Amino acid sequence: MSIFEYNGAAIIAMAGKNCVAIGSDLRFGVQFQTLATDYQKIYKIHDHLYLGLAGLGTDAQTLSQRFVFKHNLYKLREERNIKPSTFGEMVSSTLYEKRFGPYFCSPVIAGLEEAKDGTWQPYLCGMDTIGAIEKAHDFMVAGTAPDSLSGMCESTWKPDMEPDELFETLSQCLLSGVDRDALSGWGGIVNVITKDQVITRTLKGRMD
Amino acid sequence: MDRMDLSCLESAPRSRAAELCPADLMSQSVSGSSFPLPQVQDMDAFQRDAMAYIKPNHGTTTLGFIFEHGVIVAVDSRASSGTYISSQTVKKVIEINPFLLGTMAGGAADCQFWQRNLGMRCRLYELNNNRRISVRAASKLLANTMFSYKGMGLSMGTMIAGYDPTGPALWYVDSDGQRTSGKVFSVGSGSLYAYGVLDNGYKWDMAVEDAIELGQRSIYHATFRDAVSGGTVSVYHVTKDGWTKVRGVDVGQLHYKYYPECDLHPCHGKPPI
Amino acid sequence: MDYLMGLRGKDYVMVCSDTTAVQQIITIKHDEDKLMSVDDHTLLALSGEPGDRVQFSEFIKANVQLYNLRNSRKLGTKATANYLRGELATALRKRPYSTNLLIAGYDKGKGPSLYWCDYLATMHKMNIAGTGYGSYFVLSMFDRLWHKELTEEEGLALMLKGIDEVKKRLVVAPPSYCIKIIDANGTRTIKTISDSE
Repeated sequence: MSIFEYNGAAIIAMAGKNCVAIGSDLRFGVQFQTLATDYQKIYKIHDHLYLGLAGLGTDAQTLSQRFVFKHNLYKLREERNIKPSTFGEMVSSTLYEKRFGPYFCSPVIAGLEEAKDGTWQPYLCGMDTIGAIEKAHDFMVAGTAPDSLSGMCESTWKPDMEPDELFETLSQCLLSGVDRDALSGWGGIVNVITKDQVITRTLKGRMD
Repeated sequence: MDRMDLSCLESAPRSRAAELCPADLMSQSVSGSSFPLPQVQDMDAFQRDAMAYIKPNHGTTTLGFIFEHGVIVAVDSRASSGTYISSQTVKKVIEINPFLLGTMAGGAADCQFWQRNLGMRCRLYELNNNRRISVRAASKLLANTMFSYKGMGLSMGTMIAGYDPTGPALWYVDSDGQRTSGKVFSVGSGSLYAYGVLDNGYKWDMAVEDAIELGQRSIYHATFRDAVSGGTVSVYHVTKDGWTKVRGVDVGQLHYKYYPECDLHPCHGKPPI
Repeated sequence: MDYLMGLRGKDYVMVCSDTTAVQQIITIKHDEDKLMSVDDHTLLALSGEPGDRVQFSEFIKANVQLYNLRNSRKLGTKATANYLRGELATALRKRPYSTNLLIAGYDKGKGPSLYWCDYLATMHKMNIAGTGYGSYFVLSMFDRLWHKELTEEEGLALMLKGIDEVKKRLVVAPPSYCIKIIDANGTRTIKTISDSE
């Protein structure tokens, strides 16, 4: 069993029209033993930026704390929130620091970034364990069920979805995707990020 | 006087296929000893490689127990290969005949084939002797077959449950050749979780409805904790009139029936919203 | 085989551990206390390799107490747990401690809390938690019987049921156990079970 499958996770991020959404399952387990069903893999960096960390649980916790810490320092120095694209580069370089003994995590970053014309555009990217950035305009998945998740996203995503539709699409993808994975599921949580607010909802899922 | 045919009680000799009654056309496929063996030097290594192509049914929770009013058999329905859930609708109770049930854990094909084979031999016994085979004898037939293939890579953990003139019976038989009778058994990756609930609720003189509920609940809790158990819970009740299927409930709905509010279950903290 | 179990009740946390010290195939001691008080309101329940277990817990205890002395304020359960996780995570990439643990605590104003942490430093807050083979049998039983208004008597009865189940089903079940509780009044031992019982 791969070290990436030790704890289990499922993360999806999706872009909409002037909004972006990111969701994860809620299972926390060790191999085939489920220990908790209230474990989020999504971490808030600021109101317009969320980070999802799939992979080994301990490294996800360590990394999330480091990124929150680094963002706090950034805010003190710059007196503003970090831009999602800048944050992406920062995550990438942080991961590459451990090139020869990596954190066993694959991050997904979802945020809103103000464009030159004053609109808020989605920023979406994923990464491997050592920080190779993969930008996406549509959706990004990570975790122990990437095949079924990306399959669902591939067939249901369409451009320019409004927040409500985006939430519905992402939720359906998440719930259906994890139904074929033993290591993720047990409910889910979805954050829809818009310019003015973040809508967070929990999803009822199969508990087996 | 009728002569009792005991040939079916003998274990199939491992390399003496020719000695089997040639008149019995079925015997070649019945005995199983006619399975061709691979012409390789290292059988163990070959088996290891071959096992990679066989669909294992590792994630499983099955249980059975005897109580005052018969036998309860309960199973989940998930099949997985690795962490991938290949099916949520596997039938893990094999209905050998109207008075005999077998449960399935381990290799799906091994369980299905040998329990079908057992069903046939039990029927032949009935035709020969004008009475139903005892659960004890049926389980012995299976155990003998398993023992004759010991070390050849079969994988099966099963419970044979039934009702015969001696009363309710429950036997555990596995591919190591172990065979033992008992009141409470659970087999499979989720069996430890099932035992935790089952042992706690089991009483000899429980009502039928309570026993069915206990079987269902034990499987449900196992599917919650064990990642590779799930799907639906099926419960069977065996009495002197034979078995009946009494439950078939989707675990997805069962959880919200038992825990309508999120924070009733210990694994939920505060809901994130 | 190490057995740890913890549960959070209405206004307390209860933890149970076996009390055997094992050296290869020999039980060298029957009353080893694996439930260590960090201070009067935080308790660590530890399992894993004996050397690592003691070294790590004493290191944590010393540093938490040093913090309390230097700052004249006590580290809460959450803070202790996160400090401990940090140390364990740092050690993971250097010389890992093979220690699984439960962190149980009671904070005035916040109530009881229970954290589960494995040797990889994966930590999570839980209502019921356990480690070791024994936990397989007991977790499902606690899932079935736990409720959030669990009184101290009910909690103890549950713990004893868990021990009975482990003794009944687990081949390598330890013979002796100790149960401690933490509530507003601090930490105390409420039951010890020796070999004969």
